[in-house]
Amino acid sequence: MSAPASAFARRIVLPALGVIIAVAVWEATVQGYRLPAIVLPTPDAVVAALVELAGTRAFWRDVGVSLYEFIAGYALGTIAGIAVGALMGESRRFRMMATPVVESLRFIVPFAWIPLTILWFGTSFTGKILLVAYAVFFVMVVSTARAIAHVEPTLSRVGTMLGMGRWRLAWQVHLRAAAPTIASAARAAAAIGWIAVVAAEYIGASAGLGLMITNAATSLATPVVIAGMIVIGVIGAGVSALIGWLSRARLDYR
Amino acid sequence: MTPIRDETGHAPRDASAHTQTASHSPDVAHRGELVVDHVFHDYLAGGRRTDVLNDVSFRIPAGSVACVVGPSGCGKSTLLGLAAGLLRPSKGTLRWDGAPVKMGPTSHLGMAFQQPGLFPWMTVRQNVAIGLRTRGHSRRDAQATADRFLDTVGLADFKDAYPSQLSGGMAQRVGIARALALKPRLLLLDEPFAAVDAFTRLKLQQEFKTLLRLDRPTVLFVTHDVPEAIALGDSIVVMTQRPATVQRIIPVSRDERDRASPAYARKLAETLECLGVTSDME
Repeated sequence: MSAPASAFARRIVLPALGVIIAVAVWEATVQGYRLPAIVLPTPDAVVAALVELAGTRAFWRDVGVSLYEFIAGYALGTIAGIAVGALMGESRRFRMMATPVVESLRFIVPFAWIPLTILWFGTSFTGKILLVAYAVFFVMVVSTARAIAHVEPTLSRVGTMLGMGRWRLAWQVHLRAAAPTIASAARAAAAIGWIAVVAAEYIGASAGLGLMITNAATSLATPVVIAGMIVIGVIGAGVSALIGWLSRARLDYR
Repeated sequence: MTPIRDETGHAPRDASAHTQTASHSPDVAHRGELVVDHVFHDYLAGGRRTDVLNDVSFRIPAGSVACVVGPSGCGKSTLLGLAAGLLRPSKGTLRWDGAPVKMGPTSHLGMAFQQPGLFPWMTVRQNVAIGLRTRGHSRRDAQATADRFLDTVGLADFKDAYPSQLSGGMAQRVGIARALALKPRLLLLDEPFAAVDAFTRLKLQQEFKTLLRLDRPTVLFVTHDVPEAIALGDSIVVMTQRPATVQRIIPVSRDERDRASPAYARKLAETLECLGVTSDME
């Protein structure tokens, strides 16, 4: 195989093949077990449902709501997480104070908070935004603190030698040196945050993709349920790819 | 602040003929002078205390170059870290401009590290310019100065390269340019030419001497290359094995730097003998 042909195979043919195999397994399962559409619809029924959904305003509103909750919570959690993580990386005293709180809270999964957020904030956006922020925050705190603690010590010495004070060193050297690690944590956090939004909407919401899916399930519109799930997956992958692309574009040095 | 510990019970040893204990107040008479006064340093690792420096004393007069030579691992780099205020002595004092060396950022200092420690996210030019920017120079001024010193170390063609694209020797030269570009009053160099090939090294030594003549900084130069120490130093501080102390301070005169002269050969033999290498190999 020539070099361009093999590049084409890697970038287009192989991923497409993976999707085709997955869809084929799905189709074969429906046919093989003679499943009724209400249990598992065929791929083409789901595609039809997707096309129909895309033509409605309500669908785009649900997508918009979920994305809004996600973006607001993600921004909040990322900024707060990097700030607290950086402080933990820089200050021994702060680290000793924050560690027990962070270490015990971070194992309480976001979903465990859903009953409380509904109690406190009802089905409003605020509860979801805070839930996403919470989920994202702990991923960011832990990786940022660790990344800063692992910055090459020579770089700190060089910064001090050049005349940088503590804050300048933290901002211009430590945070910048830790940036690639922080960016990959941000990518992982996006996936977790997106999952948290949808999960929260499943349980209590006035709009959003999670609510759309639970409503469809109650009315036994299984193709819509699966179509909604696919939309969630595609948006999640898209967000993750976007953050990966942004961090590569901004942080890559050969 | 450098804590000055009580030295009661410690009889001052006269390791250096130059050492003198002066008052701690900054003083015009001591401007540009680096004094290492009965300095001890140790570190704890895994619960075990390791002594690195054991009563080191010497003095570098303003504008002169002291080359430190000694067995590897004898604490030469530690000495530089102490002089830079990056490390604290466990006992004793270092004085610059007549005042104890303070920990933290400074404005008088330029240092080239053994591991160059370039910022990988910056181009070579930015790496050299960042110190000047930090010290308040304008962007244009910093870049022009950076370019000039990169020319000096022979890296004019690599200004826009990133550190990962450089060889070890090239990265070290960027580190030297970065230190020199600061126009420091105190220049600390940790085997700056170690990773540079022999021919480039000789050229850099020449350039370096020319530069020193311009600004006359006080220089503490760590090297394991005795001919280099003779070529560049006004004096050579010979250290012992770890825990290190000063074994001898050898002054170098002008005619002893001429590599073709018998005086040079005698100085080389003398210094090497001090390090335990005898000149006559049978």
